[in-house]
Amino acid sequence: MKNSQIAIIIAIAVLIGYTLVRLGNSSTYSNFEQATASLGEKTTVIGYLDTEQPMDFNPKTITLTFTAKDKKGNESMVVYHQPKPQDFERSEEITMTGYASDSAFIATDILMKCPSKYNEQNEVQSDKIYK
Amino acid sequence: MQYVGEHLWAADLGRGLTALSFVFALLSTLAYYLKGDQWKFLGRLAFRIHAISLFGLIGTLFYIMAHHYFEFDYVWKHTSLDLPPQYLFSAFWEGQEGSFLLWMFWNAILGYILTYSAKKFEGPVVGVFAAVQAFLVSMILGVYLGDMHIGYSPFILVRELAENVGLPWTQFADYLERFPNFADGTGLNPLLQNYWMTIHPPTLFLGFASTLVPFSYAIAGLLRKDYKTWIKSALVWSFFSVGILGVGILMGGAWAYEALSFGGFWAWDPVENTSLVPWLTMVAGAHLLLIQRNKGGVIPAALFLLILTFLLVLYSTFLTRSGVLGDSSVHAFVDLGLSGQLLIYLLFFTIGSLTLFLARYKGLPKKVKEDRMDSREFWMFIGALILLISGLQITLSTSYPVFNKLFGPDGLITLYDQDKVLIDPIEHYNAIQVPFAIIIVLLIGAGQFLSYHRTTTKQFFKRQILTLILTTIFAGISAWILGMWNPMYVTLLWCSYYAVIANLEFWIRWAKGNWSIAGSTVAHIGFGLIVAGSLVSNANKDVISQNKTFIHEEFPANENLLIHQGDTVELGDYWVSWTEQREEGYYQRYVLEFFKEDEDHSGELKPAFNLSPSIQMNERMGNVAEPSTRHFLTKDIYTHVTYADMRSMEEKGTEEWKNAFDIELATGDTHFLYGKYQVRLDTLVVEAPQEDGNLEYVVLGAGLSVTTMEDSTYKIMPIYAVQGDEGQHVDAEIKELGLKFSFDRINYESNRPVITASEHIEAEEPFILIKAEVFPWINLLWIGSLLMALGTVIAVTTRLRGK
Repeated sequence: MKNSQIAIIIAIAVLIGYTLVRLGNSSTYSNFEQATASLGEKTTVIGYLDTEQPMDFNPKTITLTFTAKDKKGNESMVVYHQPKPQDFERSEEITMTGYASDSAFIATDILMKCPSKYNEQNEVQSDKIYK
Repeated sequence: MQYVGEHLWAADLGRGLTALSFVFALLSTLAYYLKGDQWKFLGRLAFRIHAISLFGLIGTLFYIMAHHYFEFDYVWKHTSLDLPPQYLFSAFWEGQEGSFLLWMFWNAILGYILTYSAKKFEGPVVGVFAAVQAFLVSMILGVYLGDMHIGYSPFILVRELAENVGLPWTQFADYLERFPNFADGTGLNPLLQNYWMTIHPPTLFLGFASTLVPFSYAIAGLLRKDYKTWIKSALVWSFFSVGILGVGILMGGAWAYEALSFGGFWAWDPVENTSLVPWLTMVAGAHLLLIQRNKGGVIPAALFLLILTFLLVLYSTFLTRSGVLGDSSVHAFVDLGLSGQLLIYLLFFTIGSLTLFLARYKGLPKKVKEDRMDSREFWMFIGALILLISGLQITLSTSYPVFNKLFGPDGLITLYDQDKVLIDPIEHYNAIQVPFAIIIVLLIGAGQFLSYHRTTTKQFFKRQILTLILTTIFAGISAWILGMWNPMYVTLLWCSYYAVIANLEFWIRWAKGNWSIAGSTVAHIGFGLIVAGSLVSNANKDVISQNKTFIHEEFPANENLLIHQGDTVELGDYWVSWTEQREEGYYQRYVLEFFKEDEDHSGELKPAFNLSPSIQMNERMGNVAEPSTRHFLTKDIYTHVTYADMRSMEEKGTEEWKNAFDIELATGDTHFLYGKYQVRLDTLVVEAPQEDGNLEYVVLGAGLSVTTMEDSTYKIMPIYAVQGDEGQHVDAEIKELGLKFSFDRINYESNRPVITASEHIEAEEPFILIKAEVFPWINLLWIGSLLMALGTVIAVTTRLRGK
């Protein structure tokens, strides 16, 4: 067999092996119920801010505390030890990466989806036009 | 109805030119497909007419944007009266439609050049261009077939939008004057109002467009079964593409670093990834063409990589424009509902080109003799293979949203019942890509000392003794200075130095400064420096804004520093003071003055420099932080505001007392309040006078001592009197500090008093949180980028001039 063919075969094997390992390892989106079932395990939950519940940001300790509802309706208190993202209240959906503890979900990373960025296309016209 | 004040001529002209350029692109494709000189002449003519109508249509769009014809949806959405004229270009390609036009513009220019330069291959090469253009123009056609719409025209009027048709306001002939909404547009997103937005997209799209040239030549070669002649032209064009696309991607990184608060120049965002991957495969393809020219035998691999590169550009287009990435990227385009059309575009070229490749595979010239393990071509081939694998890995990991759409819970075939996601993408990509990078830079260095055909071991090592010694010395010193001990990083550092020094030594000592390989030398040195700069600035990144208020070691909260206005706090080697806040257009700027201690250790602070990170008040995207960076030769100090109270005075309210905070204390307990005061419950006084054995009222007093940072102590006693169900409070104030304490209640569970503290509005000093990082040696990255660009320019021009 030729050298280059051996190299190609090794490369393909590495790639396939890698893909299989990754698919096994990669995490899935979960909800608060699953997160609480496996305390301390890193996971990602998509939910939204429950505006009825109190939200607090303490800049002195840099702690953001709020209540989020996941897609299945489970509620959980979320603690985020980072500065409160700008326009946090306006967010439509929050992707929270972190882990559950016995009292709250500890988020290490938060990604927000703001309505303005996505609905720009439609929102603009109809309601504002009669002002 | 005759509407007043509309510029319908522009709509007609724009749409007419769109239709014209679409039809002529199709015609050109067809004519080039049919063989014969007359057909070829027709194809060329059609392509030129297509290109000219396209330029006309672009001009028309520019015209209506420059003249603010706000009845047009695209104009209304992307410009405004107060938009500075220099941002007109940025506004033009802010939307999907405009950026498609930008891409088509470059394709048309390159295609136009090829109608002159492709000569014998003009038919299939320009034919492929025309086909691609037909697909692209269809994205802005804006034609309805029943319920299905093909493309989204930039010349559509606001009143013609599907959601507005039939609304009452469209019944007014003078709606443009009647409704103030049409007096001004929403304008260009302030986030994009900077010069990067003017130069980055055109460069990147020229890069994308340029990948089409080698692709077309590859298709031409396959169609004609001529596997020789195309190589010379494809070689020059593929290096042109490597250069432009590379510069485009790096500009994106520089933009992110300078003006966006992503915290670095590369974040492994899907949009970044899908532009990097075609570059990797193009580099691989271009190098295979070099092997082919010098030694031969790699035609199938070269064809495959050049075809793949363009397909990856299409895949990237699909990912970033179809809305698939919505959840996982911060800067994908707004979905226009073109995903079906984009998918057809992608599948057409993927199936078409791969089928052609497989059909011709048997007849492709293969290797006659196997490469030796000690030949340059063998290791170049391995390098190309690694680049391909690296690119495929990035593509696979970026494609999770696509896999979820295909195999996820709501997918076509459900293979798993929960969407998959990468938890920590940056760590994931770094872990896998660092070993690939090690091999690549190692090969870039070692490859110089290998000859085509064969190299003797003795010759290989003898030539590079000096390089090996110098590399080890420099890498050792650097690792020592930086305190870099991670074996993987040290290996990468050594290898990237090796790439730089090996190329330098080979060129000076063995190639005697031969001009014909100067381009490759400079580009390779540049690449080595890019790798070294990225490695050091990332691995040795130092967050200097440590918050000294202790929370918990593992919480990253200590990466942000709280500064009160006027305070001076320690920040790494510096002292920093927030002196001023001012409003400039869309920006709130926070001026930070940096001081450094005097050299003679007298402890005196001397002003060093000012930085002004800011927050952009962006109505459309929400407020966005913009960093401010001080550049030094060996490091950058990068700051951004991570939190600021953006409420206006009205929103803050006029209440006198703020920040009410409950403290529960047992006698003798101490509490740290507002980060400034110590509050101690010295004693709890209870008085309950009893007459005739009946408890009439109770008076409770909390004896508190409040100690400030300056060590002055105040003694106060808030009082709580209870009579029956009614409670009365006598609050205690410390006027000097602007503090108020109220004895609120007794917690019946713990039997402890609860004291509410509050701050007077004037005592509440404004504050911000900042994050400051030091990026060491990041200049290596920028110098490397410049060298790589320069090297490619030299390489392309020497090839153009030489042969």
